Amino acid sequence: MAGIAAERYTGASIKRSEDPRILTGSGRYVDDIKLPGMLHAAFVRSPLAHARVLSVDVSAARDLPGVVAAFTGAELEAMTVPGPDVLMALLGGGGPTPEFTLLATDKVRFAGDPVAVVIAESRYLAEDGCELVDVEYDDLPPVANASFALDPSSPPLFANLGDNIVGPRSRSEFGDVAATFAHADRVIDFRIGVHRHQNVPMEGRGCVASYDAGLGVMTVYAATQSVHVSRIAVAMRLGIEQDKVHVLAGDVGGSFGLKIGASREELAVAAASRAIGRPVKWVEDRGENLTASGQAREESFDVLAAVSSAGDLLGLDVKVVIDTGSYPGMGTMVPAIMEAMLPGPYKLAALGFESTAVTTNKASYVAYRGPWASETFVRERVLDLIAKDLGLDPLEIRLRNVAPRTDPPAAMITGRPLVGVTTRESLERLAQLVDFPAFRRRQAEARARGRYLGIGLATFIEAAPGPRSPEGPSGPMGMESMRLRLEEDGVVVLFTGQMPHGQSHQTTLAQIAADEFGVPFEQVRVVVGDTDVVPFGLTGGSRSATMTGGVALHGARQLRAKVLDFASHLMEASAQDLQITDGHVWVRGDPASAIAVGEVARRAASGQFGADVDANLEVEAAFDGGEGGWSGGSHCAIVEVDVETGMVTVQRYVVAEDCGALINPAVVDGQIRGGVAQGIGAVLLERSAYDEDGNCQSATLMDYLVPTACDIPRIEIEHLQTVPLDADVNFRGVGEGGMIVAPPTVVNAIEDALSPFGVRIYEQHLPPARILELIAAADSGQ
Amino acid sequence: MKVDITLRINGATCTGSPEARKTLADFLRDDLNLTGTHVGCEHGVCGACTVIVDGRTVRSCLMLAVQAAGCEVTTIEGLAPDGELGTLQQAMWDSHSFQCGFCTPGFVMQATAFLRAHPDADEQQIREALSGNICRCTGYQSIIDGVLLAAERARQS
Amino acid sequence: MKLPPFDYEAPETVSEAVELLAEHQDEASVLAGGQSLIPLLALRLAHPALLIDINRTAGLSGVSATDGWVAIGAMTREYVAEESGTVAGAVPLLAAALPLIGHEAIRSRGTIGGSLAHADPAAELPAVARALDAEFVVRSQSGERVIAAADWFEGYLTTSRRPDELLVEVRFPAAGRGTGISFQEVARRHGDFAVVGLAASLTLSGGAISDARLAFAGISDVPVRAAEAEDLLVGERPSAELFDEAARRATEDIDPPADLHGSSDYRKKVAATLVRRGLRAAADNAGERQ
Repeated sequence: MAGIAAERYTGASIKRSEDPRILTGSGRYVDDIKLPGMLHAAFVRSPLAHARVLSVDVSAARDLPGVVAAFTGAELEAMTVPGPDVLMALLGGGGPTPEFTLLATDKVRFAGDPVAVVIAESRYLAEDGCELVDVEYDDLPPVANASFALDPSSPPLFANLGDNIVGPRSRSEFGDVAATFAHADRVIDFRIGVHRHQNVPMEGRGCVASYDAGLGVMTVYAATQSVHVSRIAVAMRLGIEQDKVHVLAGDVGGSFGLKIGASREELAVAAASRAIGRPVKWVEDRGENLTASGQAREESFDVLAAVSSAGDLLGLDVKVVIDTGSYPGMGTMVPAIMEAMLPGPYKLAALGFESTAVTTNKASYVAYRGPWASETFVRERVLDLIAKDLGLDPLEIRLRNVAPRTDPPAAMITGRPLVGVTTRESLERLAQLVDFPAFRRRQAEARARGRYLGIGLATFIEAAPGPRSPEGPSGPMGMESMRLRLEEDGVVVLFTGQMPHGQSHQTTLAQIAADEFGVPFEQVRVVVGDTDVVPFGLTGGSRSATMTGGVALHGARQLRAKVLDFASHLMEASAQDLQITDGHVWVRGDPASAIAVGEVARRAASGQFGADVDANLEVEAAFDGGEGGWSGGSHCAIVEVDVETGMVTVQRYVVAEDCGALINPAVVDGQIRGGVAQGIGAVLLERSAYDEDGNCQSATLMDYLVPTACDIPRIEIEHLQTVPLDADVNFRGVGEGGMIVAPPTVVNAIEDALSPFGVRIYEQHLPPARILELIAAADSGQ
Repeated sequence: MKVDITLRINGATCTGSPEARKTLADFLRDDLNLTGTHVGCEHGVCGACTVIVDGRTVRSCLMLAVQAAGCEVTTIEGLAPDGELGTLQQAMWDSHSFQCGFCTPGFVMQATAFLRAHPDADEQQIREALSGNICRCTGYQSIIDGVLLAAERARQS
Repeated sequence: MKLPPFDYEAPETVSEAVELLAEHQDEASVLAGGQSLIPLLALRLAHPALLIDINRTAGLSGVSATDGWVAIGAMTREYVAEESGTVAGAVPLLAAALPLIGHEAIRSRGTIGGSLAHADPAAELPAVARALDAEFVVRSQSGERVIAAADWFEGYLTTSRRPDELLVEVRFPAAGRGTGISFQEVARRHGDFAVVGLAASLTLSGGAISDARLAFAGISDVPVRAAEAEDLLVGERPSAELFDEAARRATEDIDPPADLHGSSDYRKKVAATLVRRGLRAAADNAGERQ
């Protein structure tokens, strides 16, 4: 560790370098892009959930002044290469892939399915053109929900699949399920459901595509979580070699899993741009975002729990049905992750798991912040329900069941070792931060006055990126790469495939690199968002803290070593006697020897050194995650339920979280709070709703309700001292945790508030009307 | 049909010929290249498009450009014209108020107008004043903290 | 979500405005605050051939009190009415409802007349107008008409304004001595439309209720007066039992709509709760107005 600057930036809430442009309206989002000759696209979308398309007549649209082109699904199909969803292709699908086209050709499969695209001088004119497109439909019976889809007589959405079951998974067993259940004191069964809800980033999907026929290059300005994955999608679908596809992204207005790869609409726009020979922009409006971009989480679980009378959760047997909507992708991959994660941090001895993914006439199931999160909901709900049955305290039952931290570490029954997991500590810390006995007294007094307060807690772990596995690199996307270079102006430039959309990477990665290399924070620049310039990467899966933080740390060290090696030629000292601090290279003990790193770089670029001196001050680093590790924590909510109106107020929300070493505490806290807010929103406000004819009923923000500043309380966060596993990289991911564990935390609190009524809750969405229904049903003994 | 309009934007006189149906938000972004004002929903719920017209905050997606003729409009670009951040912007920077930044201009405009009228507002009043602006990233606490800090600093100076 | 094309006129006088309405009738939409109309247009749920923008039409704004009435020009912005001392003093029920309308930026542009001409049954102002028996002054080329609130609201987003008429003014009776008011609302979030709302007004004289007004928002396609409950209350002294009975009477025959935000049964239960809470609050502050 000799010669490394004392840590100044890592661990501090350094102000973000993104903010000066964000706060002054100088950010550049995809809708801010204007290219000469640029046109605008709008889509004609099916009003029906399930129908054959008999004819599509775009002639009247084409005749409208200002409309430059209009394409049907068939015309686009002729210009593109058929293929599956890029995420399924990259990550390996969970079953046979349905075949589908960019725009609907013979069939529409959800209300909002795009049928034609109109390209015009303005978005206004393009929408005018859409109103003139004449589509003839032949209505089909809608496969309105999972029960319809499971019925073998339901009309299949995809002819090549034969039925509406797209992801059957044969049963897996871990441990001795039969024996565990046979010897349990009690076997309790539950049916638990999670409702459909969705990402709703403030910026929707969109792109500007521009094809240069002379060079044969397709340039796409995207709103994306990975420029490289977008590039693969565009190249595949348009039949262009990847190196002739150039994807760029500037600022991205949130995503939460939505903007990965390229959507059917974006691919259609790229194809249209190539056909027309002019740049085309498409930015989805909020109606499209709510009805067509994708939705998540609609899963129902049949759960059997084997328990001892003392409250040990011995085994779980779970059957899940997941409604993947109309164009399956991510939804078929989620059950495998749920299976792996179901035991959580507990001493579960046996797990049986089977899943079925079905296709229905709704928007497609997409990744949404912690896509597998329902496993935590189910597990944490089951523990509370068991506790109530057995008369145990919710904290007590969890402490009883948490796997002890042993060496070697205990492993989840599904395989992964629980190395460094601090669940017990986080539960105990919660108990210190929230005085449970005092709350119980307050609760009793309130009940006497006709007011219903409740307290709930839940705990989770997340593989962010997960512990080192014997098979290879940590994390689902393998190795993380980074290119680092010292520029002649003294700036250390990091080229990363990460694509921040709120994660503040341009600040956090610079903090690490500044510390490790030895320059001031202002002398590091993080470059993102250009496939010509950055290595492969994707922001997702809560992996960047470890993977990218780690590659920045090691890469900066490698670059420093290289610079010192070169500087040793300049300074006639051996590299071991040199150090870099505060942007200068100097001989240890001789401050007068200091040379600015920029000067070193200029000398390296001067070409005056022979071939035996490596003057290329650039490294390509790769990191496999080191020892990796788990993130996790315990959350507690105190709520009040107005039993006359069903309105719920979250009075207090406390987090005791372990996400490893913190790069920037303010950034970490922001990620946690944002995730918790989405979890509170899911329980109290948000639902992607469809009626029995497949009409989307949550098509505006007046019906899809997102929480506001009056709905989210101050969220108190305490960070636990983590168990360091790696010599250098102990940052762990934090992006998804809040959203994973907040829903069961809040639902547990609501059930506690309503316990005088005997309410038991087996669902996640509890708007006011539902609260009153639950009270009435419990009252009448149902 | 197009209508000729003259209005003042961030202190400068501007003219244009927007179609009558063009919203003020689109006029600012497309015709005047002031892309700091963002469009988040186009039905007046999310607040991302908030600007100040004749001293009052307005959702620019719910106003036609032609209706702004003769008005004084301030957009996010008008708050720090020489690049030096105002008290509120600086306080928000210091408070890590934002993440992806898409909602930011709307919040800054709404909070700017609110603090001018209510410099001593408490947290609950600030929450209510900002409850018409949606943020999906932050859970709002850091934004509220930025506004409280700005108010505190304004009182001290 | 871009607006469809339309012709545009911005008449400077009421006679120009009504002349345009006479000519174009149903083919024209009147643009007041735009906070309801522009979203409708953006969603392309309406395609008027002509937009008549009355934001520059003279003589349509202002709050004045005469003779036991408060007259509010149709184009008076909601925030102006909210800040008006006259409204606060003389029409406290209106003053109580105004801050619940959306958010500040909506009230910067939204107008008293616009909201009442739009007539969304879940909005606050229609319930207030119905509770207070407000009067609607409309003008056309044939002259002026005054329409009572009971006759103004005809159906969902439908009023008795004829296509050639322009709403120019709304008049609210000034609250008398001994009047207490309450506007109660259950909304999903702060600033949202009411799932159920209640405009309540009680006048006490000698300790007994001499006047009672209860008008619901959100339980029908128009704001609804709870006439049987009002009849029950008049002549009685306030009490919890009386208010419970009033709540029962006010809601036993209603059949509220069901939607994403509440079932019919939910709205019915909440309506009853709001009556109890509203009457209690109104009775409590009736003593303050002497």
